[in-house]
Amino acid sequence: MKTHTHPSMTRANKARRKLLRIITFFIPLLVLLIFLLFPFYWTFVTSVKPTAELYGETVTYWPKNFTGVSYVKLFKEFTFFKPMFNSFVVASSTTLITLLVALMAAYAFSRFEFKGKRGFMIMFLTNNMFPTVLLLIPLYTIMRKLGLLYTPGSLILSYTTFTIPFSVWLLNGYINDLPSSLEEAAMVDGANRTQAFIKIILPILVPCLIATGVYIFMQSWNEYTFAVMFTNEKNRTIPVALKNLIGQLGVQWDLLTAGGIVTIIPVCIMFFFAQKRLVEGLTAGAVKG
Amino acid sequence: MNTRKFAIYPYLLIAPALIFVILVVFVPVFNALLMSFQNYDLRRPSAIGFSGLKNYGSVLADPIFWSSIARTLLWVLFGVGFQFILGFALALILNQHFLMRGFVRSVSLIPWVTPGVLIGLMWRWIYDGNYGVLNDLLIKLGVCDEFIPFLAQKSTSLPAVIVTIIWQGIPFFSIMLLAGLQGIPSALYEAADIDGAKKYQKLFFITIPSLRNTIFVTTLLRIIWVANSVDVIFSMTEGGPAYATQTLSVYIFNKANSMNLGYASTMSVFLMILLSFVAVPYLRSMFKKH
Amino acid sequence: MKKLTIVLLLVFLVISMTFAQGAKEDAVKAGSVGATITHWYWADNSKYSALMQEMVKDFNETNGKGITVVAEEYPWDGGKYSENLFTAVMGGGGPDTASWKLTATPLFTANNLLANLDPFLKDWDGKAGIDQNLFDIMKEAGKTDNIHVMPWNTQILYVYYRPSMFKAAGIDVPKTYEDFLAAIKALTRDTDGDGKTDVYGFGMRGAKGGQEPWGSFIYGRGGSLADLTTKESVAGMQDFINIFENGYVPPTAPSDGFSEIIANFKSGKTAMTIHHTGSAIGMVETFGDDVSAFPFPAGKGQWTSMGDTENVMFESCKNKDAAFEWLAYLAAGKGQSTWNEATMNVPVSKAVQDQPIFQNNRFMKASMSSVSYAGIFPILDTTTEWISVTWPNTIARALFGEITAQQAMDILQKDLYR
Repeated sequence: MKTHTHPSMTRANKARRKLLRIITFFIPLLVLLIFLLFPFYWTFVTSVKPTAELYGETVTYWPKNFTGVSYVKLFKEFTFFKPMFNSFVVASSTTLITLLVALMAAYAFSRFEFKGKRGFMIMFLTNNMFPTVLLLIPLYTIMRKLGLLYTPGSLILSYTTFTIPFSVWLLNGYINDLPSSLEEAAMVDGANRTQAFIKIILPILVPCLIATGVYIFMQSWNEYTFAVMFTNEKNRTIPVALKNLIGQLGVQWDLLTAGGIVTIIPVCIMFFFAQKRLVEGLTAGAVKG
Repeated sequence: MNTRKFAIYPYLLIAPALIFVILVVFVPVFNALLMSFQNYDLRRPSAIGFSGLKNYGSVLADPIFWSSIARTLLWVLFGVGFQFILGFALALILNQHFLMRGFVRSVSLIPWVTPGVLIGLMWRWIYDGNYGVLNDLLIKLGVCDEFIPFLAQKSTSLPAVIVTIIWQGIPFFSIMLLAGLQGIPSALYEAADIDGAKKYQKLFFITIPSLRNTIFVTTLLRIIWVANSVDVIFSMTEGGPAYATQTLSVYIFNKANSMNLGYASTMSVFLMILLSFVAVPYLRSMFKKH
Repeated sequence: MKKLTIVLLLVFLVISMTFAQGAKEDAVKAGSVGATITHWYWADNSKYSALMQEMVKDFNETNGKGITVVAEEYPWDGGKYSENLFTAVMGGGGPDTASWKLTATPLFTANNLLANLDPFLKDWDGKAGIDQNLFDIMKEAGKTDNIHVMPWNTQILYVYYRPSMFKAAGIDVPKTYEDFLAAIKALTRDTDGDGKTDVYGFGMRGAKGGQEPWGSFIYGRGGSLADLTTKESVAGMQDFINIFENGYVPPTAPSDGFSEIIANFKSGKTAMTIHHTGSAIGMVETFGDDVSAFPFPAGKGQWTSMGDTENVMFESCKNKDAAFEWLAYLAAGKGQSTWNEATMNVPVSKAVQDQPIFQNNRFMKASMSSVSYAGIFPILDTTTEWISVTWPNTIARALFGEITAQQAMDILQKDLYR
């Protein structure tokens, strides 16, 4: 256990602080984690329960008859790797493209005054206010005319379009929180604006880029409406593959929950590595606690 | 600085983003806006034609529209409100040093990673009035003595779906705010420590003001996102029972799925107006600062 | 700036590669001569999706005309399957043929998206093997003078019951609608004496899809779906409300859909529920002999809902002759027997109906003996919206006592026949 102690702190103070830490830190953390993780636990338990136990007389918190058969079925019969791979390709391409495009725009909005700036920003914002369900038929036509229908390109294009506005706004918010004196100092030293941006702003922005990247990745990872329209069996993504498990004759709980667990874990592992960068900006080291 | 050179520079920077948006969204949105002035019901294509403000009149006279607006307000207010409070709390916690911090950070992301398809179904299953684990827990804890049909009665179904959207949105705020926290210069806290500032004072006088823009933008974006989201409500209740969980976006979704696109577009315009009421003060205060 | 340029270049490389790949695939498609038919379908579970692929393989190997069917699975998505199909076809894409629900027909025919099957049916030798009445229903649904929909299978609703629970309550299988209501009451029991109901007489479906069993109540009192506001129709609605208010059905009824009514029946929480042969296999797996079925009994009137699954061909299909071969295979060929034997749906081909596997099944018998009074829910262009929004919400309002039976029926009538 690592705690940052302050030199001026006395022993009595320390004991009080410990109690305070339990009340203001551990208890809230525990409650939040239980709330956040219980549905995940429940999904897992459901995936290893035989169906008869699901609708049993008593609710069991751990399966009486543990079975891993749904996971075998998921990969053997259902070939779940394919949609996972497709989702991964679409989500990571979207993340890269959107981040790049949005970062450029966000920087322009944050650091320059130019004609039509407000108008453009508002346009970006209203873009996501309109329910996509109303845009489906024309979007399908656009994708068909571009020759992108039933290729990963259609999803990358549409997800990029629908994540750019929010990403621009998010990044704009982050950059606004950074004082512009930072790159001005570099420019006084003879760097041009681009150099100043890459050398000074970009490193500080890494945590924000990661956070925005997570947002973009999740949006494209979980999207269903476009995915079902713009893909066919060759490039189905996870949400569509999972939705196929809910037929007229009920839900295939075993495969669906197993698929959910298998979807969640790799992303969490990826984030485990990303989160280190999330908190390692140049100005990191804010006093904790 | 050469001002003439800078005059094109920002346009070049926003050009790629603009091209994407214009290429893909411009025509469909324009089309949809036009549809709101038409009698545009694909079930009766022969009757399609401009009808002026007729859709607007019928939407305003539709009692279900007004009750959907009221539910949208509750949905957004409580949904985003608690997402923010709990997400902010989580961000502050995750910003501290403790054992297995990285692990806790990544597992706390789980609600966000969970496919939307599964969220509604799992929560529906947790709330289930016959086999649901929530009911079982409440009985074991002695809170109630009978299974509550959470999603089958009016009083509990809207709170139930709101809890689900809160659950889903906490990681969004915690990640976004955690990132923002990294930008706060530590010198500010050190100075406050010297002045003998209390924890909550540091929170209200340093942390929150420093995150001002991030908080503004994330809450605004989340309000728009939550107001427009249908999948959680749809997979849990489809807007029922007795319209108890039908928000405006669910109503729009239903109308659009029945191919009454004119009516759905008109309601979307009202949804945009409603969201503008929220956005305008936000924008005003943002633009004022810069 | 250099780094930025490199990243940019890489990104565009990735994009152009994915696009190029798509273009290549298109080229292959256009280049292959002979007929390739794309068929969309949904599968109610992964077993059925494997079955469909088997049938496609069999058809491709045996059709003798070089026709290749490519079947692509789309999610059922609570009926959104039809809307997704519409979006695609309206957007100028979509498949050549597709599995179908009759309720979607008016929307598609109004936009001239379905191929007219009359010219193909005229010369087809399999037509006589299918009840003419079915073709009439198909024609009626399209609101045109032509048949656009090819029958595949039907599902007729009947009442599942637990013989052991009837015995415990000391009652017989109901012969009349009044008996049925009395049975619902008698079967609702507190088995362990703690003052709470443990077994409910009936599993009511109050969510989407519940309009079909509900229709039987309306006819039981002599009402009809043609006019929901008559005294008789309202009386049927009142029965529906009463069994909920009296606690003869689980309190979750307003939100119970298919999964819930079946789960409640399988776990012994309800003594009767209404569904079709599609769930029969699972019932026998759970209960063995302790489950059986009877046709919805007659009151002043008698009606049960006939569900349906068909196949259609789209106007945009380029090889209509080849596509029809595939539809014919499903309606009267090997596809008819393979599918229905495995899924236990009611076949449309009379020859397949006569096979012993259908004749000797107790659930099939309940279905077949209901055929004479089974009807299809009114198919109008308003039906889809009515089924998915108006019906469940209006019924819930009536069950909660917000509106009376009469008011509910007025709303339902107005929205269906708009």
